[in-house]
Amino acid sequence: MSLPTHDSRLATPNSQVKTESRFIALASLRHGFVLRAVGSVWRRHARVYRQSWLVNGLSPITEPVLYLLGFGFGLAPLLKTIEYHGRVFTYQEFIAPGMVASGLLFQSSAEGAYGTYIRTKFQHTWQTMLTAPLHFNDVFAADLLWAATRGLFAALATMLVSLLFGILGVREIVFMFPAALLGCLTFAAFGMCSAALAKRIDHLNVPIFLIVMPMFTLCGTFFPRDNLPPMVRRFSELLPLSPLIDLLRDQNAPVLLLATRYGILTAWFLIFAAIAYRSLHRKMFR
Amino acid sequence: MTLNANGLWKRYGEHDVVRDVSFSVSAGEIVGLLGPNGAGKSTTVGMLYGSVIPDRGTVTIDGTDVRIDGRRARESIGVVTQDDNPDPDFDVRGNLRCFFDYHGVRGEAAERGAEQLIAQVGLTEHAKKVPDELSGGLRRRLALARALVGTPKILFLDEPTTGLDPDARQDFWRIILEVRDAGTAIILTTHYMDEAERLCDRVLLIQDGTIVRTGQPRELIAALVGDEILEVVGLTERDLQVISDELKLIVRPYGAGYVVAVNSETTEYAWQRLAVLRPSQLTRRPANLEDVFLRVTGVSLDRSGSV
Repeated sequence: MSLPTHDSRLATPNSQVKTESRFIALASLRHGFVLRAVGSVWRRHARVYRQSWLVNGLSPITEPVLYLLGFGFGLAPLLKTIEYHGRVFTYQEFIAPGMVASGLLFQSSAEGAYGTYIRTKFQHTWQTMLTAPLHFNDVFAADLLWAATRGLFAALATMLVSLLFGILGVREIVFMFPAALLGCLTFAAFGMCSAALAKRIDHLNVPIFLIVMPMFTLCGTFFPRDNLPPMVRRFSELLPLSPLIDLLRDQNAPVLLLATRYGILTAWFLIFAAIAYRSLHRKMFR
Repeated sequence: MTLNANGLWKRYGEHDVVRDVSFSVSAGEIVGLLGPNGAGKSTTVGMLYGSVIPDRGTVTIDGTDVRIDGRRARESIGVVTQDDNPDPDFDVRGNLRCFFDYHGVRGEAAERGAEQLIAQVGLTEHAKKVPDELSGGLRRRLALARALVGTPKILFLDEPTTGLDPDARQDFWRIILEVRDAGTAIILTTHYMDEAERLCDRVLLIQDGTIVRTGQPRELIAALVGDEILEVVGLTERDLQVISDELKLIVRPYGAGYVVAVNSETTEYAWQRLAVLRPSQLTRRPANLEDVFLRVTGVSLDRSGSV
């Protein structure tokens, strides 16, 4: 610890400043968020999206259709039925919830990662917003909700396609909705975590290759996790996409199991959101 | 009282960037924060509107502590940051409508407000352009229009005319003075002395994160420097020492030579004495804030270092 030489009575010892800074982000939480303020930022993102809605809407709609057509109809004759948690599914019925989950995973995490990174690092949109009567919490919450909204578009598009093809019924879709919403928030927060921790834009590829792609392939999107070697299965069950896919697919599970899955997913959401919040707060306020 | 900064202190690593800065600003007043690059001006301004969290000290705007209720405090301020950061996804009008929305104004009221501001800053014919299509001066005007959303009581301008051509600077000054005349307090950081002298009612000279002097520009110049400055190149310090002792003049090294502060009674005599010594260059000019800064700190503003 060293003190400035000019006037040691007024100096703040370095250790004290560092100790205080640990709690700055935590203290900021107490300001909560204001719905009107969050709405204004969310609307800004929606306006940008609307400017090229056709291009923006292409990926969340075409991806599930392609996957459902390709895997669902292409593999269905080969696989006939799949037994999953004691229930028998056609392959199309099995894969549709997986497509809902993977669609929202990609859209929410990509918007959370790239959208937030670009707005904080390149465009400085956050910095500009924080000169207006908005709090950091409002801007953070709005970005999180917007990334979740993008995921929800993908999830709803997949659900609609599945409904049109007669793969999912209205009751199943209604049951899926709260889990899909929580999944969108979780992966939006995950994406924002990546944005907060990445030092360069290329670094955003790291979590995609190390976390998103393993989740997409191993968490039960295309086949039951029970088919995996025990070590890989145990690893895949630790990942947040697993409880989401189980919630979307296994609708007849006992209440306790459903609650546990919601609990695990909520825990993941809180962990990601806390890391993203703290790291972005530190980035914004030096 | 409109803004009150009390005992602001900021440290990065081992370096105190701002040290115990206190001042207040009243309605309709333009206060300039002057200092070389790295003096702590932008950090101080950042603490005033909440983008930098002070390690110590408080800022209140109309009685509202910026850290305790930043949303409310920022309802009555406008900020033009050093880098304009317009929203690249919207045209001029869209940028302003977004900002009105952040201020809680939507629909027709936002449309009307945006049109008024566009006209006020002279961007009417550029309203449909995106920021990439605007020149530096026009982007600054957009940043100013954005800062004026919500009719601020205090306007923060951080190096607002850096990089602008002389015409664009004059235009910007005209708008700033109009805003001031409407009763808005303005806090301006700049390293352009002509800008400070032209616009500021009061200046705070900042060096190494501390306010070293405050006052009205002309008063500071008259009290600390004098009426005129002789710039002399090609003489030794010893040559100048003789004259300065005789006439009680202030001599400071500056660039390749020296500056000698003189008043109306000593100008002609000092000029003759220096001319006799055959310097390679001898010029006279009116004293300015740059000379005040040099006198007070021994540091040149535009050279950012001791001379």
